[in-house]
Amino acid sequence: MSLFSIEVQKTFRRWRTYIGFAVILAAVVLLEVIIKLNETQMARSFAGGLNSDFLVSGNVLNAWVITAFIMNSLYIHVPFLIALVAGDMVSSEATSGTLRFMLIRPPSRSRIISAKFLAMLFYTALLILFFGVLCIGIGLLFFGGGDLIKFQPGLPHIVVLPAHIAASRTGLAFIAAILSMSVVGSLAFLFSTLVDNSIGPIIGSIAVVIVSFILGNLPFEFTESMRPYLFTTYMGIWQLLLDNPIDWAEVGKYALVLLGYDAAFFAVAYYVFVRKDIKS
Amino acid sequence: MADSILQTEGLSKKFGTRWAVKDLNLDVRAGEVFGFLGPNGAGKSTTIRMILTLLAPTAGIVRIFGKEVRGNRASILSRVCGIVEKPDFYLFLSAYKNLELLGSLSRKITRDEIQESLEIVGLKSRADDKVKTFSHGMKQRLGIAQAILTKPDLVILDEPTSGLDPQGMKEVRELVLKLSKEHGTTVFLSSHLLTEVEAVAKRMAVLNHGELIAQGDVAELLNSGSAYYSIQAAPQEKAIDVLSRVPWVEVVATGNGIDVRLDSGRAAELNRLLVTSGVDVSAFAAKRTLEDYFLKITEGASEV
Repeated sequence: MSLFSIEVQKTFRRWRTYIGFAVILAAVVLLEVIIKLNETQMARSFAGGLNSDFLVSGNVLNAWVITAFIMNSLYIHVPFLIALVAGDMVSSEATSGTLRFMLIRPPSRSRIISAKFLAMLFYTALLILFFGVLCIGIGLLFFGGGDLIKFQPGLPHIVVLPAHIAASRTGLAFIAAILSMSVVGSLAFLFSTLVDNSIGPIIGSIAVVIVSFILGNLPFEFTESMRPYLFTTYMGIWQLLLDNPIDWAEVGKYALVLLGYDAAFFAVAYYVFVRKDIKS
Repeated sequence: MADSILQTEGLSKKFGTRWAVKDLNLDVRAGEVFGFLGPNGAGKSTTIRMILTLLAPTAGIVRIFGKEVRGNRASILSRVCGIVEKPDFYLFLSAYKNLELLGSLSRKITRDEIQESLEIVGLKSRADDKVKTFSHGMKQRLGIAQAILTKPDLVILDEPTSGLDPQGMKEVRELVLKLSKEHGTTVFLSSHLLTEVEAVAKRMAVLNHGELIAQGDVAELLNSGSAYYSIQAAPQEKAIDVLSRVPWVEVVATGNGIDVRLDSGRAAELNRLLVTSGVDVSAFAAKRTLEDYFLKITEGASEV
């Protein structure tokens, strides 16, 4: 049995792991049901802003529009669900004492921490894919397909993705979201190697995300100068993939920065874990 | 030494300004049960953590199977298993699954091996129960099951009877002896329970304040220096009178019998002296236990 397989088994045999899936299931279903119940009103409100300049026809409030709307929860809500598991990967074993059992076995600490990190990435990917499939699936069931109309800051202010490419773009956006959420996971994972309790890494990583997000959005010269260095600035990579046309250079830059943060957080976690005296 | 399984040389660990273990030289031989004694806080667990690579030594080296652990960690730890402090498991998993996952970290484990380990510790019928439903004693036994699962050559047990009732303690001791006698496994057993070590260990080391104060054969260490004896004699007054005139005997207490301290090896001589002085000796028993020995040498060490 590989170390990765052992870590995945441990992760997915804990009920805590399924909190994220349950919350996403409940939130997406609830949100889409509410939108469905108020469909006419919401469609009118949504199209209202466009009617003064455009002739709007067809299925305006469709699965792709609803999905793009719900994906905004990737900034704060979903990170919490990622941190819930990632922040627990090492610290929970330190708390429970099972880390001692693991570390007196032949596999090296570097292999153990790497396997745990990969298991965290696996959970992150699975949760985001579940989120995507659920949003799109229920969206198509309730609202059907159509063009993806998206408002965005800057010019052009409105983006219209034809129905035939909206699906692939939304899929790409979710794949990019995995990368952006992996940074939150890596941060929580790093915190998890620093302490012997689970609450600290979970709250700590979410606090960093929130503070960083707020700092990145404050309209002051000082905070604006900080923006390029905040990882939350690049967490919106998924939105770039819903632009038309896609600015691939920008997507590449965002992806590289996010991968850089992933690597940096993992490198510190690795360094701490490999050198750590296990006293618990 | 050719048959040394575990050796430490100058092993030391410093936390801040405090030496938790200082210049420790241990020698554990193949196939024996080796007792590692010391009061709480003596540095036993720190030593075990260094041996098992959980803590990096400040100084010194650990050799297992003749090879230095640093640099040969994986090959050495594949033949070693243990419990550090207390057996902790994944409470949300069954006993079987815990053993499967933990055992897989060493090598491929078969279903039969897991069942056999559980059977040895008497937990076969609880194999599919989640560990969170287990009592402390059952977790201790499961800890031993995981320690013997991979059939290691060296088992390190840190206070394996801690928190157990007398029956549980007896079962663990029997398991330890069984491991040594039937499987030829070397057992390194740390304990602050002196009777426990006396019951199972052939050799021992005594640690106090992080320093080694004695190491050797349990029987030889017990027979060194002075020892306590309890004497039943009549008439008691006459016996006390005789004893008080012997310079190498100290009467410690009197009551239902007479407790004396004398040089080890002179018990027969004293018995003969009492009889030839007209005292009827009905019992002459050593009160010398490992605990007496332990207290004596640790007090001595403290004085130094």
